[in-house]
Amino acid sequence: MPAAAAETPPSRVVTAGMKAAGRPAPDNACRSRLATPMREYLEVLGVIIALTLVAGFTPLTHHAFGHVYLLAVILLCLRVGRGPVLLAAVSSALAWNYFFIPPRFSFQLLDYDDGILLGIYFVVALIAGQLTARIRAQERHERGQQRQATALYHLARALAAGRPLDEALGEAVHQAEALFGAPVALCLAAENGTWTEHAAGALPLGAAEKQITAWVAAHGREAGRGTGDFADAADWYVPMRRGGTVLGVLVFGRADGGDDIPGEQRGLADSFAAQMALLVEREHLRAIAEREQRLAESDRLHRTLFDSVSHELKTPLAVLRTAGSRLETADGSRRTALVREIRTATGRLDRLVANLLDQNRLESGSLRARLDWCDVGDLIPAARRAADEALPGRRVQVVVPDDMPLLFADAALMEHALANLLLNAAHHTPPGTPVEIAAGRESRAGRPGIFVRVSDRGPGLPPEVREKLFQKFSRGPQARAGGLGLGLAIVRGFMLAQGGDVTAGENPGGGACFTLWLPHTAHGAVPDDES
Amino acid sequence: MIDDEAQIRRLLRLTLEEAGYAVDEAETGRDGLREASRRGPDAIILDLGLPDVSGVEVLQALRERSAVPVLILSVFGQEDRKIAGLDAGADDYLTKPFADGELLARLRALLRRVKPAVASNRFRFGPVTVDLERRLVTKAGRPVKLTSMEYALLQLFITHRDKALTHRQILRELWGPKAEGQTHYLRTYLMRLRRKLEPEDETPGHFQTESGIGYRFVSDPEN
Repeated sequence: MPAAAAETPPSRVVTAGMKAAGRPAPDNACRSRLATPMREYLEVLGVIIALTLVAGFTPLTHHAFGHVYLLAVILLCLRVGRGPVLLAAVSSALAWNYFFIPPRFSFQLLDYDDGILLGIYFVVALIAGQLTARIRAQERHERGQQRQATALYHLARALAAGRPLDEALGEAVHQAEALFGAPVALCLAAENGTWTEHAAGALPLGAAEKQITAWVAAHGREAGRGTGDFADAADWYVPMRRGGTVLGVLVFGRADGGDDIPGEQRGLADSFAAQMALLVEREHLRAIAEREQRLAESDRLHRTLFDSVSHELKTPLAVLRTAGSRLETADGSRRTALVREIRTATGRLDRLVANLLDQNRLESGSLRARLDWCDVGDLIPAARRAADEALPGRRVQVVVPDDMPLLFADAALMEHALANLLLNAAHHTPPGTPVEIAAGRESRAGRPGIFVRVSDRGPGLPPEVREKLFQKFSRGPQARAGGLGLGLAIVRGFMLAQGGDVTAGENPGGGACFTLWLPHTAHGAVPDDES
Repeated sequence: MIDDEAQIRRLLRLTLEEAGYAVDEAETGRDGLREASRRGPDAIILDLGLPDVSGVEVLQALRERSAVPVLILSVFGQEDRKIAGLDAGADDYLTKPFADGELLARLRALLRRVKPAVASNRFRFGPVTVDLERRLVTKAGRPVKLTSMEYALLQLFITHRDKALTHRQILRELWGPKAEGQTHYLRTYLMRLRRKLEPEDETPGHFQTESGIGYRFVSDPEN
């Protein structure tokens, strides 16, 4: 099967193909004929009686008519099972003898030849019946095997399509249900040792069923109806084994008509379980590998964070300590200079701690945006005040249209995001260059929205760094010393928390621009009192 | 001053005594309440993160017997606590870390409010004069037409000038308890009020926004 898996075309194509081919439908016609041989006996009798009646009105001799009977029996062989064929042979021989072989309307035979004919007729009919029945059995067997192969092929395709495990297993469960014509439940081992039911199965499991499932999982043996354990249970439990462990249990209910799954299909069910176990195991291994990689990654990040945080903390602390002790003896202009250094250092510490706390709030998932109606006219001045220290001597131009709508956002997060963008502009552009803050409406992917954009006249952003900018600890190519590279990561985190986003682009007039975007909804009516 | 951090208390004492205030300190909420009823201070600076009782509980106990101005101190990201503090009767708040100039300005404004507020029936801020008796508003001598709701909002701000008002407090006062979540009413009316009364492009203006919390009407932003 792995070979088939390797040849599988990309998942999209497979999905389309699956739809077109349809799930293998249970061969209802075949199953119902097998299920009601009574109908076949009646059919056989009907044919013989009809033939006998018709023959009464034909001028054929009884010799010729024997051949007609024989033909009918052989034709019937193609349609019905072994028992009905026997019935056809016996009843047609009797009818022929009784109605047509002289003396008519009696089982007596006058002619010695007729006796031989009847005997040969009977033997030929029987042999023909046996041969056809054997061919048919062979054919049915082959068809069944072909169906199994097809089913397994479909299953392999479904499982190998590179889909998420959950989806692939759901598809496998649907296929099993379609193939066996019975509801199926799938139980998987969860991480904490419990068993969870997959949502795709149509068979509900009660407490008793779950107990059997646990037993099957513990013993790695099938159980339930038709087996040695829990034989009185309504369902049939098949473990999904891989090596020594049971990764899940497939539970087959009774088929629609109440029929059991026939013995020869039980092997197929086992194959299903094995295939699904393989997939689950593969997924487990992948998850483990991924977790290890994440751990290594997080370890690396931790070290980076630790290194840069200690550096970032130590620098202003050293400044504070030195300036503080020098302050005792310094005087005049020297004193003023020292106080200014202390201010700068505390500002830097303040921003650092704020950034670390923000990042922590983002990562711990404790950040909940409190969305409410905000006025851009409030946000922009507040953000400017927060970033004021970093923007000395800069011309900050604000462009907001008169009909600017209110935006539905978390004012504190928006202010913070905007302030971080202003600080970012201050750090990455030459001193004295202007900064522009613009706001307005902008639709994205058909969704109406509102943007707030900070544009600068700095060196701009090469396209290849734009996406990386928003990752934490990413520092711009020409960043000055200092800073953890958290500012823009926090901006993105805050915007995502509000259902919006931030993008980096190029200022048409040269320089970089960062755009905060939020979906826009119009607010409800405001009670008017103009009258 | 009720704060559990000794260094903060020392620093605040330095700042406040230099500005001419007499300062009493308390380390816990219970001590603070006891001291407050014993000494009857003119204003209280209350840290919201106390070890024994929550700042909001201190406020509630305080408000049962006194209308003394209370300035609460909090850290960034605790908007909910600030709002709870203001709703529980605090007059204003400051976010740590703050500059001492800001603390002194807030304190001055709170103490000013306690003095007989509106001596005459006229109230002035910037170029605007409000005749509270005849409900007339003029800006630079020219009459300004306010709707009744705009006037009610202005009046509420004047009554609670130099004090932070939460959205909820304003909405409840003007539109009733059912309108408590309808912040967009406020934003819309504030926009109209500012357009009619504030000088263009002046920051900080008289109607100041406290992000995520509410508004503060400052009669003299330069002070």
